[in-house]
Amino acid sequence: MHSRSVELAARSQRLVIFSLIAIGLGFLIVVQLRSQAAVARTLANQDDTSVALLINDLNHANNQLMQQSAALAEQQAQLQQALTSGGADSQALSKELSTLREVNGAAPVHGPGLEIRILGPVMDFELQDALNNLRNAGAEAISLNGYRIVGSTPVVSRGDILMVAGHAVGTPLVLRVIGDAEQLGPAADLSASSLQTRVQVDIQRQSDLTISEVVIPRPLIYAQLGR
Amino acid sequence: MTVLASVSLATFLVAGLAATQFRSQPLPPSNRVAREQALRQSVNQLQDQNSTLKARVQALEAGVKAGEDESARRSSAAQEVKAQLDEQKTYAGLSALHGPGLTVLLHDGTDPNSSADHSLGWTIHYQDLQDIVNLLWASGAEAIAVNGQRIVPSTAFHYAGVNILVNNASRLSPPYTVIALGDPPALANGVGNPDQLAELKSRNRIYGLGFSWVRSTRLSVPAYDATFLMKYAQPIG
Repeated sequence: MHSRSVELAARSQRLVIFSLIAIGLGFLIVVQLRSQAAVARTLANQDDTSVALLINDLNHANNQLMQQSAALAEQQAQLQQALTSGGADSQALSKELSTLREVNGAAPVHGPGLEIRILGPVMDFELQDALNNLRNAGAEAISLNGYRIVGSTPVVSRGDILMVAGHAVGTPLVLRVIGDAEQLGPAADLSASSLQTRVQVDIQRQSDLTISEVVIPRPLIYAQLGR
Repeated sequence: MTVLASVSLATFLVAGLAATQFRSQPLPPSNRVAREQALRQSVNQLQDQNSTLKARVQALEAGVKAGEDESARRSSAAQEVKAQLDEQKTYAGLSALHGPGLTVLLHDGTDPNSSADHSLGWTIHYQDLQDIVNLLWASGAEAIAVNGQRIVPSTAFHYAGVNILVNNASRLSPPYTVIALGDPPALANGVGNPDQLAELKSRNRIYGLGFSWVRSTRLSVPAYDATFLMKYAQPIG
């Protein structure tokens, strides 16, 4: 009888010890997982340079968004003014339509920018990188060898042939880019520096470039309006 | 004896976990802590401002749209322009869309921690996303979004240090989900073509990037959360 009660007490003791250990382990595992997730989510695991660059980009983006807000507020006020006076301001709508046609590459445009001549063959990913860098630097309109390039224009290599929107383009490649030349210049230089080990790249600033080529958007077959 | 062994084993595990926990804490030199905190605080403030500004832009866009709708009701001339405007907005990514398509998934792989491999091939780079998006356009995609960010004419991927940014400094973090609306078989054939994305597919085999894709009958992409300004390009005529 006595030995049985001793055995029961020992078993209870073991249970208590195991329970405490399990609680401790569970706590530490949770803390460990949560701290790792938090480190990944926050900026704690990033070096100062990354954080400083992020600050720079956020400042730039926020300035852009403020400018967009101001333009939209003005547009809204203009529309509202016409409505209040009993009419409708179709000019405000036409102005926005004109902007969007430029954005979509559906309208010829002119303005300052760069003309970049690439004298030699490049691969699709090299041209994609260059276009990406130029867009990042605020390129507003781009053409390549007589074809308008928009965000959805595919650039692919078929063997040695570079295809842009399904059209073969040969050397020299002449990119015309409209935007702020001060911003576009470093982006073009960056792309050129990686290409210039193989091919010659010539970058010229232009005070007024013309891009007369347009793209006709493909009608949507699969995508429909709404979420 | 059994209790002693169990306690020893558990203590060992607890100590190991405690050690791992301790090691995962950043240990910067004390004189850098304030500077690092200030930098990170700036990022948080700027990101809050960024979200607020995007919300403001979207609210203003809704206000402009309401004004345009009312103008179209009042004037046939405005109605005609409004129809064209809506079409251009759709092409520019200013409208949410839904339809069949393809979802492409990928994430960072496993760091080999090898002195012989400094390639960083185990991480997803912005160029990988750029290549996937380009291939999807080439395969007939009608609209694309990456981690909820609509790909629009002005979209550019880039690095800010280790951060991948897109569309007004929106930070993309793994896992990455690319949604493309279009003909699912055509999109899947494009991504599955062994001649395409060969380098990414090779890294996927080596590092386990989870690169996969799935067809769907109904997917959706959001509208772009900002708008467009043309400061330099002027229309001809």
